Amino acid sequence: MGTTFKIILLFSTMFLISCEGLFDYSPYQIDFEGENKGVNATNLDRLLKTNQSDTITIAFTGDTHNYFDELVYFVDKVNTFPNIDFVIHIGDITDFGLPKQYLWGNGYLLNLEVPYLVLIGNHDLVGNGLEAYKEMFGDLDFSFVYQDIKFVFLNTNSLEFAYNGNVPNLDWLSQQLFPSNDFSKAVVVFHMPPGIGFDPELELGFYQTLSAHNNVIMSVHGHQHHHEVYYPTADSIPFVNVYGVEHRMMTIVKIYQDKIYVENEAF
Amino acid sequence: MWKMRHFSHWFLLLCILIFINNTQAQSHVGKYDWLLPDYVKLQYAGGIGFLSAGVGYTFVHQRIDATFFYGYVPKGIAIDDLSSVSLQFTAKLIRIRLSENYQLLPLNFGWFIHHTFGSEYWIKLPSHYPPEYYWWSPGRNAGIFVGGELKTKWLAHKTPASGIAIYARIGTRGLYLASKVGNSSIPITDIIELGFGIALYR
Repeated sequence: MGTTFKIILLFSTMFLISCEGLFDYSPYQIDFEGENKGVNATNLDRLLKTNQSDTITIAFTGDTHNYFDELVYFVDKVNTFPNIDFVIHIGDITDFGLPKQYLWGNGYLLNLEVPYLVLIGNHDLVGNGLEAYKEMFGDLDFSFVYQDIKFVFLNTNSLEFAYNGNVPNLDWLSQQLFPSNDFSKAVVVFHMPPGIGFDPELELGFYQTLSAHNNVIMSVHGHQHHHEVYYPTADSIPFVNVYGVEHRMMTIVKIYQDKIYVENEAF
Repeated sequence: MWKMRHFSHWFLLLCILIFINNTQAQSHVGKYDWLLPDYVKLQYAGGIGFLSAGVGYTFVHQRIDATFFYGYVPKGIAIDDLSSVSLQFTAKLIRIRLSENYQLLPLNFGWFIHHTFGSEYWIKLPSHYPPEYYWWSPGRNAGIFVGGELKTKWLAHKTPASGIAIYARIGTRGLYLASKVGNSSIPITDIIELGFGIALYR
């Protein structure tokens, strides 16, 4: 028995050492490390240190779901453009909200040469996706000022919070849009537009909040996978609907002297 | 260093299991002995827990196993601890007798269903969603695996156990397969759930 035991022990040890990383404890195990933690904060740091010009150019994608290969093509294409300031992923970087899908999505976006920011989408919240998002990307609602424009990222996935009346957080949105010295105009981005999944009780208040100070030059959202520009508010704020990544089309928005220019690029 | 600590936990639990088995050494045959599980298992990883304890029965001349596991992932390994149960069925297709004391079962196919506890891991779509809003259940996933087992008669003369086995399994689950389809960029190793364990047979 001695020899056999030793051989088994030897092989077991070799097996363990060679297979480290394949051992999986749960589909819901969140143990992000390094560049998979605090991603939005890190990228914001990078963005605010870049040389700023008079034009802001943003490449949008979103709704990755299970189209991870297409996300790779998107990243490759964006890396060929010289003038992109940053990339916004409009949410649903995962299909099932699984930590592993978060790792895939962010793993591919890490290859972007420019900074990127990722919004929360409804699919990202299934299971323990909320914890995964917070751990990987940070706060669900956040904002920053870049070249005199305030960018407001808003969690509008009301249904995932059982229409609890606090999502989207209109008080927070209202505070963010309240005029102040550090910005002149604002851009509001969110995953889910009013419709199924967006709290119907908050829809009117949402539009009113956006229009309150006449300073929102654009809203951008995803969720519907197709592209269009439409004007649902009383004061005709352009709403830009961003392509799902599977269409292999991206929406690029240029902001110059508080005006927006929307174009689409195939990849 | 933290990974070494995991393995030491595993070995500690293994020792406890063997110890408990030893102390219960009795040789009477009871009326309800058939109710006793045919084996107990302790498994590391395999997607159903950091450590999982299982009991099971064997059917059809030891060719089919049904095992119930409770699996646990402690906080520290994941940001929140996770409890889950799984039920698995294994078909042991090939049995090779190596010697008096060793049997190799190199081709075991298995299917499992895994339920993670917690309200966020629902099985039935919560009522606030429109019907069929999501097609899958975060709380209940099924998966498949293939594995091998080495059955030995170690401890057979010192304990009531007829033998002890070590096994390894390599598997995946439906949600991972659904993610992999159409995505050559996702390495196959990313959807693999590897695990190994030890079984004590009655």
